[in-house]
Amino acid sequence: MEETTAEELRVLAIQAGMGDLPQQHLEELRLAWEHVRAMAARIPKDRPRGDEPAHVFVPTTFAREG
Amino acid sequence: MAEFLTLAEAARRIATRDLSPVELLQDCLARVDAVDDRLCSFVTLTRERALAEAKSAEAEIMAGRHRGPLHGIPYNLKDIFETKGIRTTAQSKQLADYVPDADCDAQERLAAAGGVLLGKAATWEFAHGGPSWDVLFPPCRNPWDLDKDPAGSSSGSGASVAAGMVLATMGSDTGGSIRGPAAACGIAGLKPTYGRVSRRGVLPNCFSHDHAGPLAWTVEDVAILMNVVAGFDPRDPGCADVPVPDYTAALTGDVRGLRIGVPYKWIEEEVPASAVTRAALDAALDAYKSMGAEVVPVELPPLAQYDDSKKIIAIAELFSIHAEDLRRRPALFGDSLRFRIIAGGLVRAEDYVQAMRLRTVLAQRMQAVLRTVDVLMLPTGEPAKTLQPVPPETLFTKSSYTTAFNVGGNPALSLCMGFTGEGMPLSLQVVGRLFDEATVLRVGDAYERAMPWRQRRPALVS
Repeated sequence: MEETTAEELRVLAIQAGMGDLPQQHLEELRLAWEHVRAMAARIPKDRPRGDEPAHVFVPTTFAREG
Repeated sequence: MAEFLTLAEAARRIATRDLSPVELLQDCLARVDAVDDRLCSFVTLTRERALAEAKSAEAEIMAGRHRGPLHGIPYNLKDIFETKGIRTTAQSKQLADYVPDADCDAQERLAAAGGVLLGKAATWEFAHGGPSWDVLFPPCRNPWDLDKDPAGSSSGSGASVAAGMVLATMGSDTGGSIRGPAAACGIAGLKPTYGRVSRRGVLPNCFSHDHAGPLAWTVEDVAILMNVVAGFDPRDPGCADVPVPDYTAALTGDVRGLRIGVPYKWIEEEVPASAVTRAALDAALDAYKSMGAEVVPVELPPLAQYDDSKKIIAIAELFSIHAEDLRRRPALFGDSLRFRIIAGGLVRAEDYVQAMRLRTVLAQRMQAVLRTVDVLMLPTGEPAKTLQPVPPETLFTKSSYTTAFNVGGNPALSLCMGFTGEGMPLSLQVVGRLFDEATVLRVGDAYERAMPWRQRRPALVS
């Protein structure tokens, strides 16, 4: 997996609302992102269309009083 | 110093008026005054309030209005549990002046049971980043050796119970944060089933994996606490409306016929246990066999899959929780937490949903294995290491023995499994079927009764 370039990272940071991050925190973002990207890449994605995620909308939660 | 009492022993003596809640509190305060400037387990001490509550408890009991086993018992709360009128900081400069205007569900229940709140316990920043030296308070230390790490994130909870400063505490567990400190500090800590204990008023780490639960010196004490804090709360959307049994009634000491599954592949191949931990686990399994249990190998999906699923979900949720602070005042976070959450803003929605779909599969596999055995057993972790800054990326690169059970949502108990040659606690983890905390506690209690480990306290306070 190729490393994210500085320009790609800048675009990603802007999209995440962090375009104004100081340089030291941008460097943290770059280092952390490489780990997170690797983890995300390991998650299987070839699932049947109907496979539900672990938490779906549970209407009884909202029917409760409280 | 005064003798150490378990919660159960103190409760029995208070009920028979052999022990005054005020005397008990003063014994706890004496230990706090003697060592907590070095241990750093409390971040806020509510001394005057606790004295008032202890006096009130004493008066009620003397008037014949004994509320139950928590009446007059000193406890603290991890400093992410919101407490009305008492600052709740999450160990973070972001919340240095935050004073909630309402109590969390756990505090409501413990106060109604007559407990005496002695203060707020140290944590990792927002229960996720640590140990840290650049946050609101210094990191808590381990009472068995002040140079050692009490683990996180319920560090202060674990350390203060082990040092006899409180008899009960509440922590939270998103990837192992109740069980880790319980293990490192040689006490008992239970991560209940997801939804068994309300998280209302507990500052979130990661909504989909957060659990609140008790820590105490013994498994029996944990069962007493579960009788108070477990139960449906309609104001926690993740809370389950499932009947709550009497957990202390389950502590029969009988494990005959119990079927114990051991995920040997995890502890031999994927994350090999150290020799001392493996020897202690084998001895514990032998003890269960001698009590009439059967031990069988089981195979679960790789730990790394559980970790990947949880960490992608967690970092996305963590970023959502802290996004505005990250954008506006990132320097107020400690380096460790900021590193561990900042990339969550870059996780794509597809990755989050795919991780949630993987969680479904992994949780189903966990329940399938637990239909073939009554409990799983494995170490909680390795003995405490030196307290020092940990490279924050280790969160992303290292698997633990605990996170899989946050993914599965299963109840998981950590209890003391002996000591190393250097006197540091070893830990056993007992994992049960969903909502079957009663079996988990029964199994842990039976071992604890058979072993001498509860007779030893840290030299710091002995």
